Amino acid sequence: MKNDPSLLDILRQQGVSRRGFLKFCAATASLMALPPGMAPVIAKALEQARRPSVIWLSFQECTGCTESLTRSHAPTLEGLIFDAISLDYHHTLQAASGTAAEEARKTAMEENRGKYLLVVDGSIPTGNAGYSTIAGISNLDMLKEVAAGAAAIIAVGTCAAFGGLPHASPNPTGAVAVSDIITDKPIVNVSGCPPIPVVITGVLAHFLTFGSLPELDHLGRPMAFYGNNIHDRCYRRPFYERGQFAESFDDEGAKKGWCLYKLGCKGPVTYNACATTKWNNGTSFPIESGHGCLGCSEPNFWDMGGFYNALSEPSKGTGNALGWGVAAGAALGAASGLMARREKDHASRSHQQVTVDDLKREESP
Amino acid sequence: MSKATLERGINALKEQIDAPTAAFFSSCVHCGLCAQACLFYTETCDPAKTPIHKLEPMRRLWEQEYTLGGRIRKWLGLAKPVTDGELARWSELVYQNCTLCGRCSMVCPVGNDITYMIRKMREGLSAAGHAPDGLIGATTRAVKLGSPMGVTLKALKAQAKHVKEDSGLDIPFDVEGAEYMVLLSSMEVINYPEYLQAIARIFDQTGKTWTISSQAFEATNSGIQIGTSDIAAELVQRVVDAAEKLKVQTVISPECGHAYTAIRWEGPNLIGRPFTFKVQHILEVLDELREQGLLRVEGVEDSRLTFHDPCQLVRRGGVIDPPRNLIKMVVDDFVEMKDHGKMNWCCGAGGGVSAIEEAAEIRLKAFNRKKKQLAKLKVDGLVTACANCRIQIEEGLEENDMDMPVIGLTEMLANHLVEEDTGGGTSS
Repeated sequence: MKNDPSLLDILRQQGVSRRGFLKFCAATASLMALPPGMAPVIAKALEQARRPSVIWLSFQECTGCTESLTRSHAPTLEGLIFDAISLDYHHTLQAASGTAAEEARKTAMEENRGKYLLVVDGSIPTGNAGYSTIAGISNLDMLKEVAAGAAAIIAVGTCAAFGGLPHASPNPTGAVAVSDIITDKPIVNVSGCPPIPVVITGVLAHFLTFGSLPELDHLGRPMAFYGNNIHDRCYRRPFYERGQFAESFDDEGAKKGWCLYKLGCKGPVTYNACATTKWNNGTSFPIESGHGCLGCSEPNFWDMGGFYNALSEPSKGTGNALGWGVAAGAALGAASGLMARREKDHASRSHQQVTVDDLKREESP
Repeated sequence: MSKATLERGINALKEQIDAPTAAFFSSCVHCGLCAQACLFYTETCDPAKTPIHKLEPMRRLWEQEYTLGGRIRKWLGLAKPVTDGELARWSELVYQNCTLCGRCSMVCPVGNDITYMIRKMREGLSAAGHAPDGLIGATTRAVKLGSPMGVTLKALKAQAKHVKEDSGLDIPFDVEGAEYMVLLSSMEVINYPEYLQAIARIFDQTGKTWTISSQAFEATNSGIQIGTSDIAAELVQRVVDAAEKLKVQTVISPECGHAYTAIRWEGPNLIGRPFTFKVQHILEVLDELREQGLLRVEGVEDSRLTFHDPCQLVRRGGVIDPPRNLIKMVVDDFVEMKDHGKMNWCCGAGGGVSAIEEAAEIRLKAFNRKKKQLAKLKVDGLVTACANCRIQIEEGLEENDMDMPVIGLTEMLANHLVEEDTGGGTSS
């Protein structure tokens, strides 16, 4: 892969004009909340960028993330960027198979040691190594081996970022996130089930331009995309403010497009860019289609209570704990009340009639 | 003989803390709105005079004795006990800097009746021997002589004689089966004897039977002001005994604020049973007579007048419309103060404050609030229906070089009564 054409050359070959390319760079700069002056910097960096080697490992996953990032999109600049990276290893997309495929991975690792990007989708089972293997290698071993030579890791999708669906209670495979295993490499969590495609390309562009990863939130997600919650950016927010809620999916409120909070929308606790970036080439996002947010870009979203339970409802079965809590509280309250009553009765019994002669203190001799 | 001690005071407070008190203390959100409602705060801007702060020792006692967390802290030695010195310091806040006017209770956003609790706080302070000397003296005179100002039956009879000379009307003493039994405040007997004459003339015109009991003519109740229920009950009992002995239908509380609260609202609770007679404020009686068409007046005042609501009448008693109905009978140019009715500002001397010598300075400072209200109105005179308000306002006006007559409402009405041929002489 020596003397690769630059990204701009490839894009030109694909029929993208320079104007279109600059538009992409400006859009990326604004999306990532960079100053406008950064757009030419991005353009310059991307023009000269050599196709970086990317190794994509898929573990316990459903391929939904790959679908989201490649197939479900019409060919756009984001799609083309993908063509412009040297995706040296990807189960779903590569032509090679069997030993040849593993060879390609080994070669890419050796040729770009310390420079390649590792993209992971899917969680890693820590229970029985046999739960998920590729070419006889357990996911855990393969991750450790490939991560060792990576410049940075992008954990794509909630499974890789936080454990996702495989991690959901009772987590039979002992699934964990990439960050639970690899601690000595920069990791970007691009969560979502699936994540928004532009987030991936945005992170890639940032990496190519500045040679570093973008600013991350406390969960390792790029601030530019995960800085606001869905609720704060939702176009239905005014209905929430006025207390206008859909009570069922076919009532008047639902037809009028009122807030879906009571139908289980997790928008208020979900940080993602869906409400602004939207899906399917900017067409809409789930709330716009009349369904509440599932909270898919948050850790443990499968275990946050039913998708159709309002956030204010308890997320777990309270079972006996609630009963015991109530009983203990009642007992404590009753005991405390009885003590107070006894104290007060005692005070009443100790009452000594106050006459005008008792209003003064004993004169000191 | 038992004397006041800290133990008795603490015990009294523990006895006084009831379910409403517990609810009030636990629901206080420390917003401080009560400060802005209290004239002792607004005229001094001293945060110590925030109404709820006046209850701090009682609040801590409640927490330590009646709450789970407080008991645990007390048990662990983390609670600060209520000390004698603390109660002594609080005496000034609770007696001199509160007139029990009830304005703070009106503004509390969580509905805490702070005045109700200050009344209870006084119960503890008086049992602990921290009541001010002035109030102790007044209370002692009330119990031993029958009047906090030492007015004896002899003095009252002398005033009755003056009324007879002036108007030709007899003051009926101890008439059994009379419809009304009239109570008087010492202040009226000594400072405003016109009230007695006004009553005599109004009842004469309306043809109602009335009487004064020689056993219990005093309406004021120092027991309420000092905050000793045992004494307050004794004073209420005297009135009840007299009213039941004379078999009257209605006992009339005079132009006095706390006397009305004492007999009308606290009375039955203090003696532990309902009364066999009705209790009304003189303004309620007069308004009834007006409604029945019995109260006939002529002529109107030619000056611009306003009305000062006695706190105990409006906030604790709800007597808001009667004085206005009555005033409008004889006053054309009547203006209201900005805060009137149930949100009126206190004169600054109620709730026993006027009986405390040390409170003279703060009481006149508190009067500034009323002064500002009056200055805005540009009125020629002020009408009120409480002898205590009246004397405070007169003193305050004097102090501030404001020349303005202060008139009792009953007296003003009597001056306008339609003269009857059968009636006696003319009043001033």
